[in-house]
Amino acid sequence: MTRLSLSLGLAALAAVASAQAAELPAEIKQAGALKLTVNSTYAPMEYRDPATNELVGLDIDLANELAKRLGGLKIVWSETPFAELIPSLQTRRADFIISGISDRASRRETADFVDYLATGPQFFVMAESEAKAATDLCGKKVGTTRSTSFPVEIEKWSKQNCETAGKPAIQYVPGENSIDVRNQLKQGRIDAAVQGSETLPYAQTQEPGKYRIVGEAFAKGYQGIMIRKDDSALREVVTEKLTAMIADGAYKAILDKWGLGANAVAQPMLNAAPQ
Amino acid sequence: MKPAPALAEGFPDLSGMRVAREPHWFRWFSAALIVLVLAAIARAFANGQIEWSYVSRFLTVKVILEGIVNTMVMAVLAMALGIVLGIVVAIMRLSPNPVLKTVAAGYTWLFRGTPLILQLLLWFNLALVFPTIGIPGLWSARAVDVMTPFLAALLGLGINQGAYTSEVMRAGMLSVDIGQYEAAQAIGMGRLRALRRIVLPQAMRVVIPPLGNEFIGMVKATSLASVIQYPELLHNAENIYYANSRVIELLIVAGLWYLLVVSILTPLQMLLERRFARGTLRLAR
Amino acid sequence: MTKPLVAIRSVSKNFGEFQALKSVSLDVWPGEVMCLIGASGSGKTTLLRCINQLATIDSGGIWLDGELLGVREQGGRLHRLSEREIGRQRLKTGMVFQRFNLFPHKTALENITEGPTQVQGRKSDEVRAEALELLRRVGLAAKADSYPAQLSGGQQQRVAIARALAMKPMLMLFDEPTSALDPELVGEVLAVMKELAKSGMTMMVVTHELGFAREVADRVVYMDQGAIVEQGRASDVLGAPREERTKAFLSAVI
Repeated sequence: MTRLSLSLGLAALAAVASAQAAELPAEIKQAGALKLTVNSTYAPMEYRDPATNELVGLDIDLANELAKRLGGLKIVWSETPFAELIPSLQTRRADFIISGISDRASRRETADFVDYLATGPQFFVMAESEAKAATDLCGKKVGTTRSTSFPVEIEKWSKQNCETAGKPAIQYVPGENSIDVRNQLKQGRIDAAVQGSETLPYAQTQEPGKYRIVGEAFAKGYQGIMIRKDDSALREVVTEKLTAMIADGAYKAILDKWGLGANAVAQPMLNAAPQ
Repeated sequence: MKPAPALAEGFPDLSGMRVAREPHWFRWFSAALIVLVLAAIARAFANGQIEWSYVSRFLTVKVILEGIVNTMVMAVLAMALGIVLGIVVAIMRLSPNPVLKTVAAGYTWLFRGTPLILQLLLWFNLALVFPTIGIPGLWSARAVDVMTPFLAALLGLGINQGAYTSEVMRAGMLSVDIGQYEAAQAIGMGRLRALRRIVLPQAMRVVIPPLGNEFIGMVKATSLASVIQYPELLHNAENIYYANSRVIELLIVAGLWYLLVVSILTPLQMLLERRFARGTLRLAR
Repeated sequence: MTKPLVAIRSVSKNFGEFQALKSVSLDVWPGEVMCLIGASGSGKTTLLRCINQLATIDSGGIWLDGELLGVREQGGRLHRLSEREIGRQRLKTGMVFQRFNLFPHKTALENITEGPTQVQGRKSDEVRAEALELLRRVGLAAKADSYPAQLSGGQQQRVAIARALAMKPMLMLFDEPTSALDPELVGEVLAVMKELAKSGMTMMVVTHELGFAREVADRVVYMDQGAIVEQGRASDVLGAPREERTKAFLSAVI
């Protein structure tokens, strides 16, 4: 074996090795598992099945499918409140976040979003409410989870659609999480509530006939897989697998399973949410 | 009278010698060690990923100051409610009437036996059980209109505190010598008047240190009311970091304010102790 | 015939199994100074406490100034009086305790004015003037604004006597008033009690001070194991006791 072929062989081996390393970060490969954190109070994206207490949801299914396609990785799940999701990405407790988190410019300082689901805040009321159109909610008390981006969205919408039309502004009432918000709606503390359009079909199947959606999803946006800016290799490989899932129908199947076929995207986008 | 016997030999007079001061080498060593550890921690924090500019920026922002005011208002009101309830329940518990005794014991059992945060959530969501509340024939209202975050927090914190305060008060009243009670009865006082004028004032001296402690705990317990949307310090700090993602910085802001309040309250409690020790020469240390 | 101020008839009192008083009967006459002597556990203190109802009797009856104490006769049965009624009955007696029991959070003067102003609802200037007079009478006018902790045991007990007198009782009960005092302080308290006796107050004194009994008592009652063993003039009971048990007690004490 000549010196040249040996060095060429080694170079080829090195090239293949580095190409493989570009696919998946070494520590994930070594661990053979993905570390993912979710806020499991957000049905149908991620939540604990009340019957079995198992962690289930659209994000869970997507993540499991991704892990399979990334070379049969296991997933080590951990749960935190919504406000802790971004910190757990920053502190590297999680490899990436897939937890019903909206792609927003203010969140893109240290991370990128691979958008995978169309969404947007939506008004809903108790079925017996008199509100018919979204503008009927001007001047009324509207609640939403305070740790999300929705309070700001409501304020914006109220300015554009209520105050410019000479109507009183919407009164925002904070809630701790989506269940708390629905409780306050049931008790009459608020007249309407706002949740991501991805959660409403599920809420309606849980309590049929109790709620009614009012108007369209306002402020269209996307939910994204949040990945650290310096983890470009991981981001590329996740985007690649997601594209494949959309192409061969696995993605649509999962979305349909959770009643969210209408929220599908044609392909994964990078930081595509408009603001 | 016989002269005093001569003293035995072999025991020298040490009255001219003074006791030397011990060098306490170990104390110096451990103090130095602790200083080193603290310096290392301070350095770690200084070099850590904390944006201290955010801490100073938000330390005195309007929303935070409002939060502190709301925290203190709630702490004072809930503590007042807790003390009133505590005294009433303690008197009931010490009453010869078995009905009163049982009710008092039941109240204490119920409100000490469940977590405070659970009680707050129950009060706040009362309308799920009783959509309307009121006095039949006189007045009724929607429970949600009555049970504001403020009222739910006040009831939750105050009634819970009452259960703990009643035990403190009961111990305080039992610590007063029974002779005091008998002397009061001997001059014709009834049970309640004797309690009010003779026993309780004396019980206060024993009761102030633990109550002062409870109040300091109450100031911090108000932070639990953040989950029922009462706009106290923690709640407002959380709202800020929900918007700008600066979790640690805002938690430091809130933490600093809690520390400041408690640091002011501690010497105030000592002054209060001194006032109630009037009439006795011993002060509890 | 004048009636006794206190009439005790077949009074029994048990503390669980222990019989503190076994069907005791006794009369106390107005203006009389009676000393009760005996070993501890003999029932003398219990008897005193039954008179001002700090202890409730199990059977029998006590009449004070003609009024049955603690119960009301109705339909052949006895019904307990209300707390209010009992409080009212207690106003007729004043009690001085072995451990003084002054209210530590009030000055000497305040201790004395507490009862009349709070319980009897009298005007505070009147009460204050009377209280100062009482303090003068027990020799402590200068200590009106002192707290009990600032007073010696003897001074505290004298204030306690003034406090009891402020209620203008018709009977004064003394439960071993000098037993808790240092020997050199006993004299000042006994002096006050002697003056009180001379002024005509009816007094029942449980005491070990036989010298005092000899000097001041109109009647000495010796009790043992819940019953009256011997009673009579001080010179008789103390000087020439008839009963063996009395003799045994006295020789042990002297």
